[in-house]
Amino acid sequence: MNGVAFGVFLFLFLLVTVMGFAAARWRRAKTMDSLDEWGLGGRGFGTFIAWFLIGGDLYTAYTFIAVPATLFAGSVTGFFAVPYTIIIYPMVFAFLPRLWSVSHRHGYVTPADFVEGRYGSKSLGLAVAATGIVATMPYIALQLVGMQVVLQVLGLQPSSGNWFLKDLPLFIAFLILAAYTYSSGLRAPALIAFVKDTLIYLVIIVAVIYIPHHLGGWGQVFHTVKSNFDSSNAAAAAAGQPATKGVFPATGVGQWAYASLALGSALALFMYPHSVTGVLSTRNRGVIRRNAALLPAYSFLLGLLALLGFVAVAAAVKVGNPPNAQLAIPQLMEDQFPSWFAGVAYAAIVIGALVPAAIMSIAAANLWTRNIYKAFINRAATPVQEARQAKLVSLVVKFGALIFVLALNKSFAINLQLLGGVWILQTFPAIVAGLYTRWFHRWALLAGWLASMVYGTWVAYDTPSPTQAHFGSSVHVFPGTHTGIYIAITAFILNVVVAVVGTVVLRALRVPDGVDGTRPEDYVADIGDEGVEPELNPVQPAH
Amino acid sequence: MNARSTGLWVLTGILLVVAAVPPLLVPVYARTTPTLWGFPFFFWFQFLLVIWAAVLTTGAYFLAKEAYRRDRAARGMRNGGSR
Repeated sequence: MNGVAFGVFLFLFLLVTVMGFAAARWRRAKTMDSLDEWGLGGRGFGTFIAWFLIGGDLYTAYTFIAVPATLFAGSVTGFFAVPYTIIIYPMVFAFLPRLWSVSHRHGYVTPADFVEGRYGSKSLGLAVAATGIVATMPYIALQLVGMQVVLQVLGLQPSSGNWFLKDLPLFIAFLILAAYTYSSGLRAPALIAFVKDTLIYLVIIVAVIYIPHHLGGWGQVFHTVKSNFDSSNAAAAAAGQPATKGVFPATGVGQWAYASLALGSALALFMYPHSVTGVLSTRNRGVIRRNAALLPAYSFLLGLLALLGFVAVAAAVKVGNPPNAQLAIPQLMEDQFPSWFAGVAYAAIVIGALVPAAIMSIAAANLWTRNIYKAFINRAATPVQEARQAKLVSLVVKFGALIFVLALNKSFAINLQLLGGVWILQTFPAIVAGLYTRWFHRWALLAGWLASMVYGTWVAYDTPSPTQAHFGSSVHVFPGTHTGIYIAITAFILNVVVAVVGTVVLRALRVPDGVDGTRPEDYVADIGDEGVEPELNPVQPAH
Repeated sequence: MNARSTGLWVLTGILLVVAAVPPLLVPVYARTTPTLWGFPFFFWFQFLLVIWAAVLTTGAYFLAKEAYRRDRAARGMRNGGSR
């Protein structure tokens, strides 16, 4: 273990712990006992805070570890994270202000609240909520995987001992996270996000300037990577195996996969409950559009970070035996940086895991509380009961994720995360189409959701890779062609077809379509309008 | 939407489409040359697209702000909530 790196790491970790608990007093409300306060931070965050919060929410520690790892491993599609995060923002700009307005006027806390209100269907709301929860759980688990690799490089994971002792540092970090999320709600990650993003920007900017300089410049880095991948491909070909490594998708097959992964992931991202939580916590309609123009700064950063995967190849980073590509970035920092700055880098990644993990657990807790607990178990729940329920569930969700990663198989979490992306996209028709039109029939949307969930899960299970029989890739061969595209997109097409056909049939049969609880003007309401008060009264919901 | 804002909304939509579509046209930019500061074209071009999209989205922000203001004025609602 490196004493200096550990000291710096510990100092920064303790700093955010204090901030997490102090956040309960930040922008203090009369009471924390409602979901608007605990689960959405009082719905009062302006452009500046929202930029840090949403950025801290979307660009997770797992991204910081996994995206460079795929480039390090020579996957031609690894860089798709960049076009993906370019496409997102014009879409955010287009439809999220409408979700903000209707949610604010009706006191919706989750996307499932909106679906339930719009279609007058608790079952459709339940489908959206359940999808959100099961897609979020493995995502939280992967934040732990991100923390684990850092703790491993830091030397905090003794290789001997049982799984509990081995992961004690992870336990402690998560226990602290759970405690301040419980007491401060969304205010904790919002405040910590300032530290997280400042550290991440600092570390990455230093890394992309300092490390390639030591390796002979970026031109040399790309040159070394190219010859490294070429020789690895030649060796594979000689052994009769497929040559898969490449710097970028040079052929049509890789390009379809690249574009469909970017598009599918972009469509899916703001269906994740934690993204919606970030958006609904903003003060007014304009904050979201302003942030759509400002958040691409993070995409630029993500691109630079992804390329560190190549830098790690050029620096001949050793990632253990059997090789674990996810160690590439922490190990690169360990090898190249002076100890004190390596400590800063580790802290940046670990804090980068805490912020999204907190927001995700809050979002999942909100979904449970609103769309399962209140919708089906305790229909007369008061705001105080809702807040209490959500706080408890946030603990359950986090410890569930912890046990998941530690006691079960880590690759199981990664497979589920792959599935989560496929699943969450299937809530898109109900949510996004619903923001513009009530044309779709609620049962048709439910049927489309069900068909695409089953189909997507089956296809993902059935897709092998050279190393595993199931869940081998998020790309499959599109039926009737030889072109590989993102599974989520194929399932999404099926979803829309079923929903359209189903709507036509159900309308012809005159099946009752539920009561729309919203009005057209709700979708363009702004702060200060009737029912969209700056200070919400938790005891009297707006509608 | 009304007569005084339709044009602005259409223009906003065009800016957003022009921002979002180029990253999907992978065959156009999946190439090595010309390189810039040692970066293959594929990589530096996508960094350029990030900036391109940010600039267009900023433009769309100002257009939509004005269009939204006109919509509200047309319905006799007060403006200023969305600063």
